[in-house]
Amino acid sequence: MHIPDGILPVQVTAAGYAATAAVTWYSLRKIKQKEDSRQDIPKASLMTAAFFVVSLIHIPVPPTSVHLVLNGLMGVLLGYYAFLAILIGLFFQAVMFGHGGLTTLGVNAIIMGLPAIIATYVFRLSKIGNKDSPRKDGAFGFLAGLVAIGISVALFVVILLSNIPTDLNAAVEQAAIFTLAVAHLPLMLIEGVITALIVIFLRRVRPTMLSSL
Amino acid sequence: MKLVIDEYANLNSPLHRWDARYRLVGLIILVFAFSFIRDLRLLLAMVLVTAVIYIISGLPARFILRWLRFPSFIILVIVLTLPFLSGEQIIASLGSLALRQEGLLAALLISVRFACIVTVGITLLSTTSLINSIKAMRALGLPLIMADMALLTFRYLHELGQDLSRMLTSMRLRGFHQRHFSPGRLRTFAWLSGSLLVRSYERSEWVYRAMILRGYGQSSRPPGEYQACPADALTLGAVVLIAAALVVGDVLLGHNIAAILQ
Repeated sequence: MHIPDGILPVQVTAAGYAATAAVTWYSLRKIKQKEDSRQDIPKASLMTAAFFVVSLIHIPVPPTSVHLVLNGLMGVLLGYYAFLAILIGLFFQAVMFGHGGLTTLGVNAIIMGLPAIIATYVFRLSKIGNKDSPRKDGAFGFLAGLVAIGISVALFVVILLSNIPTDLNAAVEQAAIFTLAVAHLPLMLIEGVITALIVIFLRRVRPTMLSSL
Repeated sequence: MKLVIDEYANLNSPLHRWDARYRLVGLIILVFAFSFIRDLRLLLAMVLVTAVIYIISGLPARFILRWLRFPSFIILVIVLTLPFLSGEQIIASLGSLALRQEGLLAALLISVRFACIVTVGITLLSTTSLINSIKAMRALGLPLIMADMALLTFRYLHELGQDLSRMLTSMRLRGFHQRHFSPGRLRTFAWLSGSLLVRSYERSEWVYRAMILRGYGQSSRPPGEYQACPADALTLGAVVLIAAALVVGDVLLGHNIAAILQ
């Protein structure tokens, strides 16, 4: 779900960088409001590395396999560090494997990173009310994972199809949107389920991770 | 960790000797100028500039072929389908399949732009180590938190990758088959991912203590890490001129496919 170099016009790639700069500035501002913001840097960095490695695992979904994005879980665990983590991860993916691109780094960061921040807020809704249970955390984890990847897919499809340098007729465009959306449905469900299962796992094994950053 | 992109970082070409900060600025300006191009007549100039930069870098041809050999799946889908889906002017037809001129030209534009941007980007980033590129970004104003995060992430990628590999091996030894799918296996994948996250979190606490013992946060960046000479600025000036010429050329030529077809 990375848009490669060469497709988008410069107005869109430049707007992507501008939006990424704005979200990065906002995230850094929130991070610096903490008493000792440097203390969290190693945690955020090593978890960024772990997310990068986990995203390389291929999960079989017959007749093919998918690799996890987990931007919802990044939002749940990393909070405002999630956008920075995704930006760094996308840069490494571009220079190590050629996934995504350098001119599209800003656009891809918005596609993946903005939904991660939304997932942070979705999961924080689970803290409302007195009842605290693994099921409740799992349900909100599922929602955070599903919403994050759902918004990412929607942004990806809209940005890609509206910027192809020639006009598609309406029927072809609708068919492309439908095909891309349906093709990503299993990924959305799997992301939601895996996010929920990991949240429940962490709640049992290391609950501080769910509220540390 | 030896990366593919660092494989030729120690050659001694003019591009390798170019100040890393100036090289990054030149790279950004040039790739954005490439993505600005919409006029097919400028594609040849873009390919020429890319080829000259690659030859000056002294990198072997097989190096860039590694990056271009397996282009992104999205590029492949677009380039293979656009000529049949987009446009009205049919130039050839085979049964219900019609090859359309507008789609064909758009596919050509996308594929050439993709190849040139990837080649220039990879060339300029591979003429120094990735660590040095991140330090140069820091020198250009990348926020300290992001630079530290990028360097630490890079430092632990390989180790966590090895951790994952060991965990997968031990799972296989216990009879887990990664290729089979069942809902129950999703839980196993989740626990595997969760375990890796817990390991990285616990390790980060030790890493932070070790960093504090070594004076993390006490000293500022050493001054004079980069020393640019007039030749560095002149090279950047030349790259800016080339980028500006491409952009101006695109604007003057009408910059769209419709203009070419008329």
